[in-house]
Amino acid sequence: MSLLSLTWRNIRGNAFRSWVVFLCALVVAGFALSTTLIMRGAENSLRLALARLGADIVVVPEGSESKVETALLMGTPATVWMPQENMQKISAVPGVAVASPQLYLSTLHDASCCTVPDMFLVAYDPATDFTIQPWLKRRFGNDLKLGEAVGGTHIFVPPGEQNIKLYGYFVSLKGNLEPTGTGLDQSLFFTFDTARDMARISHTRAERALQIMPDSISAVLVKVVPGTKPQDVALGILHAVPGVTPIESPNMFQAYRKQMAGLLKTTLALLTITWALSVVLLGLVFSMAANERRREIGVLRALGARREYVFKSLLAEAVLLALAGGAAGIALGAFTIFLFRNLLISSLGIPFLFPSAAPLLVLVGGGLVVALVSVTTAALVPAYRISHQDPALAMRE
Amino acid sequence: MKIVGVILIALAIVIAVVPQFLDCQSQGRAITLADGRLIPMKCHWTAVAEIALGVPLVGLGALLALSKRRETRRALGVVGAMLGAFAILLPAALIGVCAMNEMLCNSVMQPTLILAGTLVMVISLGAFGFSFGGKEVEPA
Amino acid sequence: MITLHEVSKTYRLGKGSVVNAVCNVSLEVPRGEFLVITGRSGSGKTTLLNLAAGLTQPTQGQVLLGGAEIWRLADREQSALRNRTIGFVFQFPSLMPSLTALENVRLPATFEASGRGNGSAARAAELLELVGLPEKAGSYPRQLSAGQQQRVVVARSLINRPELLLADEPTSDLDEKTEIEIMSLFRDIHLTMGVTIVMVTHTSQLICYGTRAIEMAAGTIRT
Repeated sequence: MSLLSLTWRNIRGNAFRSWVVFLCALVVAGFALSTTLIMRGAENSLRLALARLGADIVVVPEGSESKVETALLMGTPATVWMPQENMQKISAVPGVAVASPQLYLSTLHDASCCTVPDMFLVAYDPATDFTIQPWLKRRFGNDLKLGEAVGGTHIFVPPGEQNIKLYGYFVSLKGNLEPTGTGLDQSLFFTFDTARDMARISHTRAERALQIMPDSISAVLVKVVPGTKPQDVALGILHAVPGVTPIESPNMFQAYRKQMAGLLKTTLALLTITWALSVVLLGLVFSMAANERRREIGVLRALGARREYVFKSLLAEAVLLALAGGAAGIALGAFTIFLFRNLLISSLGIPFLFPSAAPLLVLVGGGLVVALVSVTTAALVPAYRISHQDPALAMRE
Repeated sequence: MKIVGVILIALAIVIAVVPQFLDCQSQGRAITLADGRLIPMKCHWTAVAEIALGVPLVGLGALLALSKRRETRRALGVVGAMLGAFAILLPAALIGVCAMNEMLCNSVMQPTLILAGTLVMVISLGAFGFSFGGKEVEPA
Repeated sequence: MITLHEVSKTYRLGKGSVVNAVCNVSLEVPRGEFLVITGRSGSGKTTLLNLAAGLTQPTQGQVLLGGAEIWRLADREQSALRNRTIGFVFQFPSLMPSLTALENVRLPATFEASGRGNGSAARAAELLELVGLPEKAGSYPRQLSAGQQQRVVVARSLINRPELLLADEPTSDLDEKTEIEIMSLFRDIHLTMGVTIVMVTHTSQLICYGTRAIEMAAGTIRT
């Protein structure tokens, strides 16, 4: 009979003890994976959002930074305005390679003229845009025509309809962008011409007209000349253009980063406490088990089992249960996070995108390691003590 | 097996009862027809259909807790797995829930049903698998 | 077979108190003997048996088993020596509860250094037949009576064809009829297989099964 099959028999032989160890490993691994998955998913999402924006600097009206960040991250529509002439001023700042204006609009809440309420709309200038255009060229080979739009991953044409109705204006959905886990997934992108056409038609067809402030834009996305420090260009914009705030890409979403850092500290603290309590509980369980099986182990030693064999057999039980419990905890944790990802986003107020296979495997591996280390740490001392005990003493009542 | 039966009963209650508080009907939302009539959204019908799964699942859990025969447990395991599968299929494919992410039926009700249905399937299949091992206990 | 030379065993209990379980005992058990050790409870007979088996280290003195001084050997060699040389029958139920009777009988063979008990299944079945329990091969200890369990233990003790069988009060928890059955088994094993047996008992009626008897009292052999 191999060590493994004897170990399996011992595990089955005491169901209560085995279930306690299994559940402890499940909780530790599941909790570790869930917390790291949430943090990783949020970071992933932020990174993709920044990549989607594609800009080194985003220039917004002074005081509207958090509104714009919330719109981009969480999809909560924001309408902010600054004079269109800022565009020329920004383009003239040394170090600016490309500057592209955008308009931020929103659909009406509970109005029959809009099929989707409270949707964030982004209008871009096709002549200067460097975020949507490259994707359109790769995907379709051409730009958006009048009346066409592309949506984030969650945008869809309502069932039974051919187009999306915005302010009584029918927009044809050409395609969907890849997911980012942010508000950009719930946003619709079209050209300035489509926006102005929509505003014109809305006067007669919508419950309330779409208001685009004349000679105004909402934000300017800036790409700097390669080799130039974005910090210096941002400073230049600040001096050259009054009433605006240039936000460098790495500093984007600072409020959310701080929130995530706070969340990370709290979850790490909880994780540490859970881990410590689990290890203590497991230590008690293994000590009790070792004591309970003292006589049995004394007999094994009398029959010729070496100390090493007994030690390995006890550790093998711990490892098998840790792996099984850890795997179950990880599967449950990952599955639950995946299912409830939308609730996560709305309740925690952070963006989230489920990681792809490779980073997920790393997290899974990490969770299993945590479970293994916890259980074997708890089992080591009792296993060593009992395997090195005098067999005659072990067999005494 | 008693504990397994009790867990199944708890999951059955989640499947039958929880959707009643998470569908759009319970949130005061409905579809307005052209003639002004209000009709429930499809998540409401999913919630109603889940009652039809939850009730037999409660019975199954009770039978599993009380049953001592291996053949009975095997059969109950198979039926339990099928009921769990349908608890998942109703919101995911057969009837469905509302499409918008921010709606409660989409963000909470559907994931809860899928998770509960998955657990029912896993536990039922586990009961099926374990019924092959061990000694048969003679019926009283 | 076994030589104990001026062996003592002292246990230290809490608060500095000390128990002299065995005091300066010398004993030789030649090959082929059936030695019965009697004595009252606490006389040190079980400790003497454990010392002879190498299950506890003497505080003083030497223990030789088959000519080898046990306590000069490393754990690996000691365990191997015990495994191939000695069969054990304990007073308490010593079967592994999660293994069947057949698996319990095979267990010592799996600790054998060479091969993981290859061929031990057939020998185990033979031994179960020898002790009169061939039909119980697939039963677990909880499904066997105390007497049946002890017979499985006797079968287990013979799996590696040991030269020595050590039995510590093997019949103390059994009824008279079963006691006679077990003792008859021991006699058969001694006579037909030539196994040296050392048996500890507090029942003086069992002395007649042995070729020699000694009595322990207060940790020494009473002369």
